[in-house]
Amino acid sequence: MTVAETTSALLDALPDFTTNEYKDAYSRINAIVIEGEQEAHDNYMSLGSLIPDQADELARLARMELKHMKGFQACARNLDVVADMPFAKQFFSPLHGNFQSALAEGKVVTCLLIQALLIEAFAIAAYHIYIPVADPFARKITEGVVKDEYTHLNYGQEWLKANLEASRTELEQANRQNLPLVRQMLDQVAGDAAVLQMEKEGLIEDFLIAYQEALAEIGFTGREIARMAAAALVG
Amino acid sequence: MFGLIGHSSNFEEARQKARNLGYEDYAEGDLDMWCSAPPQLVEKLTITDPAGQTIEGAYIDSCFVPEMLSRFKTATRKVQNAMELAQKQGIAITALGGFTSIIFENFDLAKFQQIRSTTLEWERFTTGNTHTAWVICRQVEINAPLLGIDLSKAKVAVVGASGDIGSAVCRWLQDKTDVGELLLVARHQQRLLDLQASLAGGRILPLEEALPEADVVVWVASLPQSLSIDWQRLRSPCLMIDGGYPKNLDSKIQAEGVHVLKGGIVEFFTDIDWQMMEVADMDQPKRQMFACFAEAILLEFEGWHTNFSWGRNRITTQTMEQIGAASSRHGFKPLGLDPARIRSLAGAML
Repeated sequence: MTVAETTSALLDALPDFTTNEYKDAYSRINAIVIEGEQEAHDNYMSLGSLIPDQADELARLARMELKHMKGFQACARNLDVVADMPFAKQFFSPLHGNFQSALAEGKVVTCLLIQALLIEAFAIAAYHIYIPVADPFARKITEGVVKDEYTHLNYGQEWLKANLEASRTELEQANRQNLPLVRQMLDQVAGDAAVLQMEKEGLIEDFLIAYQEALAEIGFTGREIARMAAAALVG
Repeated sequence: MFGLIGHSSNFEEARQKARNLGYEDYAEGDLDMWCSAPPQLVEKLTITDPAGQTIEGAYIDSCFVPEMLSRFKTATRKVQNAMELAQKQGIAITALGGFTSIIFENFDLAKFQQIRSTTLEWERFTTGNTHTAWVICRQVEINAPLLGIDLSKAKVAVVGASGDIGSAVCRWLQDKTDVGELLLVARHQQRLLDLQASLAGGRILPLEEALPEADVVVWVASLPQSLSIDWQRLRSPCLMIDGGYPKNLDSKIQAEGVHVLKGGIVEFFTDIDWQMMEVADMDQPKRQMFACFAEAILLEFEGWHTNFSWGRNRITTQTMEQIGAASSRHGFKPLGLDPARIRSLAGAML
């Protein structure tokens, strides 16, 4: 197969972005992404209050999230879709609640795990899986975003690596508490994601690859990581 | 560092292996869970050759099981993700074991070099087929005479002759040995005709006609489910080299005088401190392994960090000789027939 044929075969495989079914599913998936970026912004700002010496760096990360949010809002406009924001708020509320409780208790480790590991790893997986099946406009925007998200994942992982021994117990506990939520969130939107040709099986696997890489970088061993990640698989 | 990408031979075995390695949640999980499971680097090991050179390696389980073969996307993802993991670990040369290389080839995964943020570097991977082909040929040359088969008068059937390993085996037997006659068996007629032309020899036959004529049968195709063959019509003695994957010929053939040998398996000169071959149904799992895995080990020993075996039908007798010499040099030998069985056979012939 020539490059041209391969490209055209790939293009043939893209969904029809103009159907009502696509737009309906997109209204929820896009809203989740917008809300996710907004919450990420807020979470990094909040983290700045827990780690004051890094408030500047965290504010910089937060600004990037707002930029992403605007990009995804443009994606919705481009497809003539209105994002279903109430759905997205509801969607994030359990994880949002856990972050807020941890924040109130001053639990930096838990906050970092939720935002900088789980949400970022999930975003990276979802964006990677979305890119090949996105409309050309959204594809370009998402490709730019995904590069930034790696730096966010990296931020959380570096902090936790430097503080691993003090953080280990809390990390494991926070993992147990929050990873099943990620899995439930995924199950909730699997149908909509499938309309966008994003398969749940691949989403979970890619999420776990990113999450496991982060845990390995932080300093967990292979078996510890597999045990921690299993909470997402067993669901 | 060398790498081996492998997988279990079936789902039940995969769960058992997970349990043995302490991955309890995986052992309890169903097939859908395994379909979403990321590849795991399960073991790091060192190997020292007879000259005292020590190298390091890693075993990656792709979490693929053959039950996933009907799921095109799942199987593809398992292979790509395991390869990405190997590359991200900085492994210089990794062998694609079992179904890994078959999926890569059949689904034409060379088209997809970009896996997320990683561009796969093909020179870090090898199918291991050159070593496998060399080992199978040596198994024929060494073991046929032990059964009283004179290769210069023998008919050797190669089932799967047009494949990457099969065509290499044919080239070697034609150029490097004096086998009586080559019988070429495969499904693709055109590829068989091309092979016959390039060999300037060999007779094309359907499977059911080739088998009763053959003194030696080299299987490098998987056994078709629907295959019904009257094994009693085979010659006696007959040497069967089971070089396909999975290796299940010995369970299907019980005929007097037919000797099945697991093909493409090598034995290291000493035990290796690893757990991975325990589940690959090897008789001596501490020192026996697939020749394709051993190819990555050889390439690391030699410092040949290149995709030695790659693409289809590019194996030459020269590259087979080259990897074969390395194989012997570093302490590997092709698996032979059970010596006890040979002795009892010799007793019967006296």
